[in-house]
Amino acid sequence: MAYRLCYYTRMPESQNTTASTRSREEEEAARPGERQALWFCAYTPLELLDAAGFRPRRLSGAVERLEEADVLLHPATCPFVRACLVQGMEEIPRGPAVFVNSCDAMRRLHDAWKDMVGRGGGAGGRGGEGGGGAHMMDMPRRPGPWAERRLAQEILRLAEELERDGGLAVTPQSLKEAAALRMEVAKRCLQWGEGLAGSSRMRLAEAAQTLPPRLFLEGPPAGLAEGRGVPLLLTGNLLNPRGLVEVIEEAGGWVKTADLCNGDRPFLDLEEVDGETLEEAALSLARRYLNRRGCARMDDARQREARLLRMARECGARGVIYASLKFCDPYLYEWPRVEALLRSEGLPVLRLDSDYQDGHAGQLSTRVEAFLEMLRQGRRRA
Amino acid sequence: MNWMASLKERFMDRLSPATLRSPLLWSTAEGLARSPLNRPAWRADAVALRYFLRQTKRAYRGGDPVVWANLLFPSELIHAAGAVPFYPEMAAAVAASLELAPRFLDAAAHAGFSPDTCSFHRAILGAWSEGYMPAPACLASTDYLCDSAPLSFRYVAGEIGVPLLLLEIPFRGDDAALALLEEGLEETALRLAEACGVTWHAYLRGLGEAVELSEEARKRLLEVEELRLRHPLLLDGRDALGHLSVLASSFGHPDAVSFYGELAAELRERGERGEGREDSDGVKKLLWMHLKPYYPHRLFEHLQEHGGRIVCEEYNRCYWGEMDPRRPFRSLARKLTGHFGVGEGARRARVMRELALRHRVDGAVHFNHWGCRQSAGGAALVRRELLREGIPVLLLEGDCIDSREYQEGQAATRLEAFLESL
Repeated sequence: MAYRLCYYTRMPESQNTTASTRSREEEEAARPGERQALWFCAYTPLELLDAAGFRPRRLSGAVERLEEADVLLHPATCPFVRACLVQGMEEIPRGPAVFVNSCDAMRRLHDAWKDMVGRGGGAGGRGGEGGGGAHMMDMPRRPGPWAERRLAQEILRLAEELERDGGLAVTPQSLKEAAALRMEVAKRCLQWGEGLAGSSRMRLAEAAQTLPPRLFLEGPPAGLAEGRGVPLLLTGNLLNPRGLVEVIEEAGGWVKTADLCNGDRPFLDLEEVDGETLEEAALSLARRYLNRRGCARMDDARQREARLLRMARECGARGVIYASLKFCDPYLYEWPRVEALLRSEGLPVLRLDSDYQDGHAGQLSTRVEAFLEMLRQGRRRA
Repeated sequence: MNWMASLKERFMDRLSPATLRSPLLWSTAEGLARSPLNRPAWRADAVALRYFLRQTKRAYRGGDPVVWANLLFPSELIHAAGAVPFYPEMAAAVAASLELAPRFLDAAAHAGFSPDTCSFHRAILGAWSEGYMPAPACLASTDYLCDSAPLSFRYVAGEIGVPLLLLEIPFRGDDAALALLEEGLEETALRLAEACGVTWHAYLRGLGEAVELSEEARKRLLEVEELRLRHPLLLDGRDALGHLSVLASSFGHPDAVSFYGELAAELRERGERGEGREDSDGVKKLLWMHLKPYYPHRLFEHLQEHGGRIVCEEYNRCYWGEMDPRRPFRSLARKLTGHFGVGEGARRARVMRELALRHRVDGAVHFNHWGCRQSAGGAALVRRELLREGIPVLLLEGDCIDSREYQEGQAATRLEAFLESL
């Protein structure tokens, strides 16, 4: 069966429900008999979920009803996390949910999820058919040997928990195979994304993270558009794929690289996974996650800054858009240094806040248009 | 007029970074603190005041290495090096009490920090950008209780090129994670000793002593807890809320032993004299969660006027077990993972429920500090847990540091209505 991506269009507000904005892949992912594992953060080791026989499904959240999350999450909490809780409360999904201890917001989502949606994993997990454990995996911030051992320990523990929650026993072989497939997915995703419009790159990234790897590797989905306009680097956390990127395109910008949690970033700088024993393979997988391109939570600010500059130069960006979801502390605290760095390098930068719904598209559009106009004028003057 | 008000009157209108380094300021402050006119509510408060004045003076006057630390970073690790522990989050609270915070918050906004972040850390960054913070030899932070400390410290460390020692605490405190944390602590200690110019041998000797002192202080803190249970109205929680600074910064120093020893002794003396019993009729006993506004406000007066009395506080608790100076890193690992803010939110909620039940409170107030993803973020969960036990909870929105984000009238009305309903 060939999977094809649907075309995303911004819906009128009245139709903009969870179901209507959900991709076709997500709809199809709900096939009976298939064991899904839900995930939220880009540090989730999808290789492990594959190897445990689950179909990873990333929740995108019920963006239009964020206020329903107020019952357990403070309004000054990441809107993505709030949207995911609302979707969870609505669907009560049956599969296990895998959380990563990556930031305060993810910790709060895990707490709220356990209380409102599903029970805890580990010792509290019941497992078996219809299980819906909430599993939390620690994610160190500072790469290095200590962090590798710590993360490997967490990967092994999660493997055990997933097995208790109805998954397959993970073997070194199954983990390596899954890792190799995910590596191939990453390579193809970047390769197929060359020259595409930002929104198409986002769709491609979404498919790479949503579809089973073998299905994704059958070929690029139809309906992807070539990019054109003022070349830009978009950097930030996780953005509504049908929000800001489309606003930028409509204003005449071309997002050549989407350095986002749900964009190109999870596919960059991946290492091979090897090892004879499960412990060795887990350690190797831990290195992949710690050494790949990280988000602003990682404690390697200088490396991130250097990578950002290199990325901007490599993609020929004439400007950078730094966009993050509201209340995302790692990005809020990082911004002043990034702004100073980019300005010192002569790269114009625009900072945008997203409420994840991006319902204020008019305001966003005006700011993006003004920024692009400034870039065009700068070029004319040069 | 208390010593702080006197100090404010003498120095505030000409305060500059240079003033904080001037011998005159510190000799005046120490003189005022010693003055018979400065009568603290408790003898232990005088011990705390002397300790903080001495440490802050050391931090600003130079000479000894200064280590910036967040509230959960084990102070024992800093005292072991003979370094000066400096807690910027407390400095932000002091700035707020001196009504300096708005100026620092504006400086932070000017530097590009969003008002959506925690005002404790924005005030720190603003004060630092204006030169009001002492220069650190290194910065040390845990990744709990919240993300703000490691992130704001990272900014400062990156700007001035000094090491940031990040101590990562595992979500679960199982044996394997504990063993790794022990290693992480040792590695952090090694880097801290290096940054402070102390040999490893001397550091380890200092650490043994610090852990021994910490254990002595812990025993006295447990005594204080027992005495507060026996005499719930003796020590007013609004005063006790200030003890968090002692708990966070002085363990591993002889003054922590003196502070809790003195407090326990006075609680015992006053309890035996029957103090605190005379006004127990109609008192509504409260648990106070998270922190308080540090700028001048009348919230606690409103609370008192309506019969409310804080008898226990979230953070003033001994949350860890016995410490062994022969195994300092294992002891500190257990202390860190023992904190109820580490791990699941349900753990914090459970501990708050136990605290409320133990102190037989009539209600609980959670001060929702704006932008705090940890406490305000998890407040609804705590509230549900307490409500299950029939304990009413008020979630009071506000800001601990930024007085401009606090509406006295609104907060007072909500508090009064809550107290009336109890």
